[in-house]
Amino acid sequence: MFIRKLLNVRSHYHLRRWVSTDPLSFQNKKLQSYLESLRLEYYALRVSAAGNNSEYARLSRLDGVVNALEQHRALQRNITSEQDMAVEKDEDMRALMQEENNVYTDLLQKQEDALLKELLTLSDDELYPALIFEVNAGAGGQEAMLFAYELYNMYTSFFDHMGWQYDEFAHETTDIGGLRHANLIVHDSEAYQWLRYEAGVHRVQRVPATEKAGRIHTSTASITVIPRPADVHVHIAERDLKIETKRASGAGGQHVNTTDSAVRIVHLPTGLAVEAQSERSQLKNRELAIKRLHAKLMQQQLESAEASTQATRKAQQGNLNRNEKIRTYNFVQDRVTDHRVQKGGTQHNLSGFLDGGQQLSGLIERLQLENRRAKLVELLETWQPPKEAADMN
Amino acid sequence: MTTRTAARSLSATLSGSSSTATTTTTPPSGGSLVEVNKALDGWEQKLKDAGVRDTEFNLKCIVSHVLQRKFNTVPDDFTQLKFNSEQLADFERFCEARCARMPLQHIIGEWDFMDITLKTAPTVFIPRPETEEFVRLVIENYKDVKHVDMLEVGCGSGAMSLSMLHALPQVDATAIERSKAATALAWENAKLLGLQQRFKVHNHTMEKDKYMPEELKDKQYDLIISNPPYVKTDEFQYLHPEVVVYENLNALDGGSDGLRVARLVFELACRHLRPGGKLWLELGNEHPPLVKTIMHLKYQGRLTFVDSYFDQYKRERFVQLQKV
Repeated sequence: MFIRKLLNVRSHYHLRRWVSTDPLSFQNKKLQSYLESLRLEYYALRVSAAGNNSEYARLSRLDGVVNALEQHRALQRNITSEQDMAVEKDEDMRALMQEENNVYTDLLQKQEDALLKELLTLSDDELYPALIFEVNAGAGGQEAMLFAYELYNMYTSFFDHMGWQYDEFAHETTDIGGLRHANLIVHDSEAYQWLRYEAGVHRVQRVPATEKAGRIHTSTASITVIPRPADVHVHIAERDLKIETKRASGAGGQHVNTTDSAVRIVHLPTGLAVEAQSERSQLKNRELAIKRLHAKLMQQQLESAEASTQATRKAQQGNLNRNEKIRTYNFVQDRVTDHRVQKGGTQHNLSGFLDGGQQLSGLIERLQLENRRAKLVELLETWQPPKEAADMN
Repeated sequence: MTTRTAARSLSATLSGSSSTATTTTTPPSGGSLVEVNKALDGWEQKLKDAGVRDTEFNLKCIVSHVLQRKFNTVPDDFTQLKFNSEQLADFERFCEARCARMPLQHIIGEWDFMDITLKTAPTVFIPRPETEEFVRLVIENYKDVKHVDMLEVGCGSGAMSLSMLHALPQVDATAIERSKAATALAWENAKLLGLQQRFKVHNHTMEKDKYMPEELKDKQYDLIISNPPYVKTDEFQYLHPEVVVYENLNALDGGSDGLRVARLVFELACRHLRPGGKLWLELGNEHPPLVKTIMHLKYQGRLTFVDSYFDQYKRERFVQLQKV
């Protein structure tokens, strides 16, 4: 077959790598035939997918891999084979061929990396349009709540950094600026592939602001990530709201100097009522109350029968990781250590990390890569070439 | 006025005596601490007897102010909060003042308006919650406009202009104000909020044929906003003591039909709005239909009535006019 011939050609250039036992090495036979099966599937789908949504979805997911594979093969064809080189008599010409081959080998190497990346992305699970992200303070009292608040800030900054839309539907703070828990919904189909690695127990080690004797405490906060198969959207129409303040009637404006900033809002279609009085500005209280109403309506939707079965099932899967300590934030040594990363899981500049920007996304990318590799290896181990493909060989 | 001066001299003697005892602002170590909940004892009833409504909120504002903490960080039940002896004295002094119906906003010296906090001053009009709604409407209308030259007539503490500037970076604001104290306060607030680059305020009293100060007489604007005095003269007898006794009546008195100053603003708008420019006004209850009639009768070819809007109490109070 054509492939085998190509593999023969390649083997001269990558003899050492050919011997490699790495299942994700490009020279691995199983990987090669897996790729070929994807390619065949892709072209078969292109012929048959008319009008079938799930097939279209699969097609577009395969698109990246197959494109990369085709480019890779095109590059391979440019490499002059050993036999052709041997036939060539002209010394200069042979040197030229050799030089050209070196260039193509480099390009080929790059293309392989790109192809592998596409292949790894393919091994991700199905996509979810939204997810529920929860931050909960764990063991450690007030200090744990302060830490939970810092994590909350880190992740909301991260959402902004990634450009994801999110809504908050529960938020309970403490007097000294801590956070008991917060629930957010993140509306982005990419978010789950990133945030899933953040679920678990986060540990902090430092001398808390509340500690007088200068001892180092260890406290925890946990992150839960529940994918949502269906998007949740709440729309509140102004005309559906009945807004009440303490001043029921009588003249307003310049005639009186009231300080009635407390606001109560009734959502007429559902009868839900919310209040806000934590601000001195009435308008701010009204905004706050509407936010709360939004959160309540969202929660109501989330709890609707169909949604809850899905959510619970996923929550339980998420629970598997619940008690696993995934990361330590050590303020004393100004470091953050991810316990799942084998080598180099520790980085310094903790405050930069807590900004929720490049440092955090860099770490998640590593976790993503490792997870995808593991998954792909597992898939290749259990994968059997389809019958037709075997016949063709 | 007597309450205020008495309070002030009291605070002067208090701070004078304490500065000899301790030089730092941290609570004095020797001073005995009193639980806030204990200090509150009896005040709620006294305030109610004095005719103050919404007493819980009043007390919470005073407590936060005395403790120098942000209002929204103080727990509703005041648990674990304590006053030192100095703070306790302040607290009682402020509560006395409130019982004398001094406006809460004057007692604590600042107030929140939309997203900004403004200093208040005894003779300067205190912005009302409905005005927040008014400004919100104007912001909503101008948030996508590239650049806005805005004029405010009678800015008081600066609440409307400064919250517009705070919300919309594309706005440049000029204000005129008849009271010297308000002019100074608006400028101080602008500086405190870091908005002085885009804000100018002129001390000027708007009169017939002298609507704008000399230096602005040829200026034209895209937008004019105003919350002119609109209380009818015969309504003054029904006003709350906080308003009648403590507030600057110049900021309230709108003449017999409440539109005396508004009429001047119409004339000013004819001269200083660009064609197509808008005039937004916050007025009293019965005014929008009246304004509509006035526009039809007197301003044909100069100003047109665009629309009127309701405040959060469902009262038709805001109008939008357009320069032809």
